[in-house]
Amino acid sequence: MRAVNAGLSKYFPDKKGVVINSDGGSTDGTLDVFRNTTIENYQAIHLHHQGEPFFKIATPYHGIPGKGSAFRTIFEIARALNAKACAVVDSDLRSITPEWIELLIKPVLEDGLDYVLPLYHRHKYDGTITNSIIYPITRALYGKRVRQPIGGDFGFSGELAKFYLSKDVWESDVARYGIDIWMTTTALANNFKACQAFLGAKIHDAKDPGADLSAMLNQVLGATFELMEEYASGWKTIKGSEGVPNFGFEYTVGLEPISVNIDNMIERFRLGVKELMPIWKRFFSRDIINYLGKVAELPRDKFHIADEIWVEIIYSFAMVAHKKIINREHLLKSVTPLYIGRTASFVLETWESSAEEVEEKIEKLCKIYEEKKYFLVVNWR
Amino acid sequence: MKGGEPMNIFEKVIMGPLESLLDKILLFLPNLMISVLILLFGIILAMVVRVIFAKIFKALSIDKLLEKTGLMELLRRGGIKEAASNLLSKLIGWIIIIIFAIISMQALRAPAVERLLEQFLLYLPNIFIAILILFVGYLLGNFFGRTALIASVNAGLRVSGIVGNFVKLTVFMLSVTMALEQLGIGRGTVMIAFAIIFGGIVFACALAFGLGGRDVAKEYLEKHLKGEKPKDDIGHL
Repeated sequence: MRAVNAGLSKYFPDKKGVVINSDGGSTDGTLDVFRNTTIENYQAIHLHHQGEPFFKIATPYHGIPGKGSAFRTIFEIARALNAKACAVVDSDLRSITPEWIELLIKPVLEDGLDYVLPLYHRHKYDGTITNSIIYPITRALYGKRVRQPIGGDFGFSGELAKFYLSKDVWESDVARYGIDIWMTTTALANNFKACQAFLGAKIHDAKDPGADLSAMLNQVLGATFELMEEYASGWKTIKGSEGVPNFGFEYTVGLEPISVNIDNMIERFRLGVKELMPIWKRFFSRDIINYLGKVAELPRDKFHIADEIWVEIIYSFAMVAHKKIINREHLLKSVTPLYIGRTASFVLETWESSAEEVEEKIEKLCKIYEEKKYFLVVNWR
Repeated sequence: MKGGEPMNIFEKVIMGPLESLLDKILLFLPNLMISVLILLFGIILAMVVRVIFAKIFKALSIDKLLEKTGLMELLRRGGIKEAASNLLSKLIGWIIIIIFAIISMQALRAPAVERLLEQFLLYLPNIFIAILILFVGYLLGNFFGRTALIASVNAGLRVSGIVGNFVKLTVFMLSVTMALEQLGIGRGTVMIAFAIIFGGIVFACALAFGLGGRDVAKEYLEKHLKGEKPKDDIGHL
C-alpha cells in the first residue's frame, strides 16, 4: 500500500491518482491493512466488494466472490473516473517497490500502449504452469512473446478497461478465476498494443504449496481453452511469434533456493498412469499412450517426458475440450498427474542448470508449441 | 326313421360343431384379416419412421453425445458395434411394431388374449421405468465413480481405483435396488438387504481403518494438523 502510494507520489506528482482496494471477498485481513494504512495526498477508496446484489430486492445475494469480480469493480471505477491508465497489483506482494507503479503505468501514459505485462525474475521452478503450459501456448496461439501472461500485476489503458467491461463474462467463471489469462488473451486477440515491464523479483506471501493443484490447473487451463473457442478465427491464421516492447532495466536478483520432492512427484505420475489410463485412452493417440506407459516404468534417474510429447498432450487436451468428448471437469482435472510428471521431468533435467539455461529450455519448448500448432489448426472444426 | 337316425347323429355330432366352428372361423376371419393388416401397416410404418429417425439422430450428432456418456463403450464391450443413431432408430421401429402388434392382437377380440394383454399393458410402465432407472443409475455411477477416481488420484491415494469402483458400484447398486422395487420384486427385502450390505461395508471400513490403520491415521492427522507435509516449494502459477 505504501509502495503504491510512494510510486504515485514520486513518479506521477502532477497526476490525479486513486488507490482502490477491491476485495473479492477475501478473509486474509487485506481490508484491515488497507484501512489502517495512512495515505498522504491521495484519495483512498475503501471498497469491500461483495458483488453487488443483482437480485437484491428478491433475495440477499452476495455476487460471485473472486479476483474477477474485484477487477470488474476496478474497471468500472476507471470508466466512471475516465482514468487514462490503471495498474493492478496483488495484495500479498512482498517484493513490490514504488518503481512497479511507474513501470506499469508509464508505458500507457507516455508511449500510448494499452497493456503492460510484468516480467519478473523468478526461481527456475517458480511458475511451472506458466512455463510449461500458459506462456508457450499463449505465445503459439496469439503470436506475442509475453513471458508472464498470468503474472497478476498489470498496467492497462482506460480504453482497454472500457473494452473489458463491454465483454459479457462477469457472470461466468471469469468472475471467479481465470481473470489474468482472460485479460491478457482479450488484449492480445483484439490487437491492443502490449508490452512488458521488468519488475524485478516476485515474492509474495507463502501459500500452501500443494494447495489444490488440480483446482489451479482446472481454472487456468479451463479459461485458456474457453478463450481458444472465442478467438479461434484469429489464432488459426497466426504463424510464429514476435516480441513485444520491453520496459525497465533488467537486473539479476538473488532468489532463495527451494526444495522439491521428486520421488513423490514421480509416484503421483505413476499413480495417474495406472488409474487414469482408461480415461486418456479415449482421446490420446496410441503413441502417447505407449509413451506414457513406458515412462511410468522408468527409474528416477531415467525419468523423462519429452517436450514433443508434452506439447502433443496439451494440444490433445485442448482438442478434447473443444470437441467435448468427455466431461470438462473430469478432463481438466485428469491433467494433474501428467503435469506433475512433466514438472518432475523438467526439474530432473534442469537441476544443475542456471536460470539462463532454463530459460533457453523454455524457449525451445515454445518453438515446439509453435511448430505443432498445425495439429490444432487442422483438427479444429 | 331308422335310416335317418345315423344321419341325424352325424349331423349333430360332426356337422353341427363343424358348422359352428366354420361360423366362428368366418366370424373370426375378418378380425384376423384386420389384425394382419394392422400388423403389416405397423411394420411398414416402423420401417419409414426408423429411416426418418436415423437421419434426425445423425443430424443431431447423437452418436457423439452418447459416446460421451460412456454408454457406447459399454455396448461395444457387450459386442454391439452398431452406431448409436442406428440402434436408437431401430429401437423406435421395434416400439412401433410392438404397439401395432398389441393393437392387432386386440383386433382379434379373443377374451384370453385380451386378458393377457391387459395384464401385460398394466405391467409395461413398470418395466420402462425400471429400465430408465437402471440407465440413469449406470450413467450416474460412471460419472461419480470417475469423479471420485480422479479426485483420489490427484490427492495421491494409492487405493484410488478401489475408491472409484466402490463409488461407481454403490450408485449402480442403489439404482438396481430401486429398479427391483419398481418391478415389485422382493419389495422391501431388497431395500433392507442393500441397506444392510452398504451399512456393513461402511462399518467394516471404519473398523478396518480404526483398528488396522490406527498408526497410519495418527501419522496422517499429525502431518496435516501440524502442517508436517513433505517439503515441496514449487510455485505452480
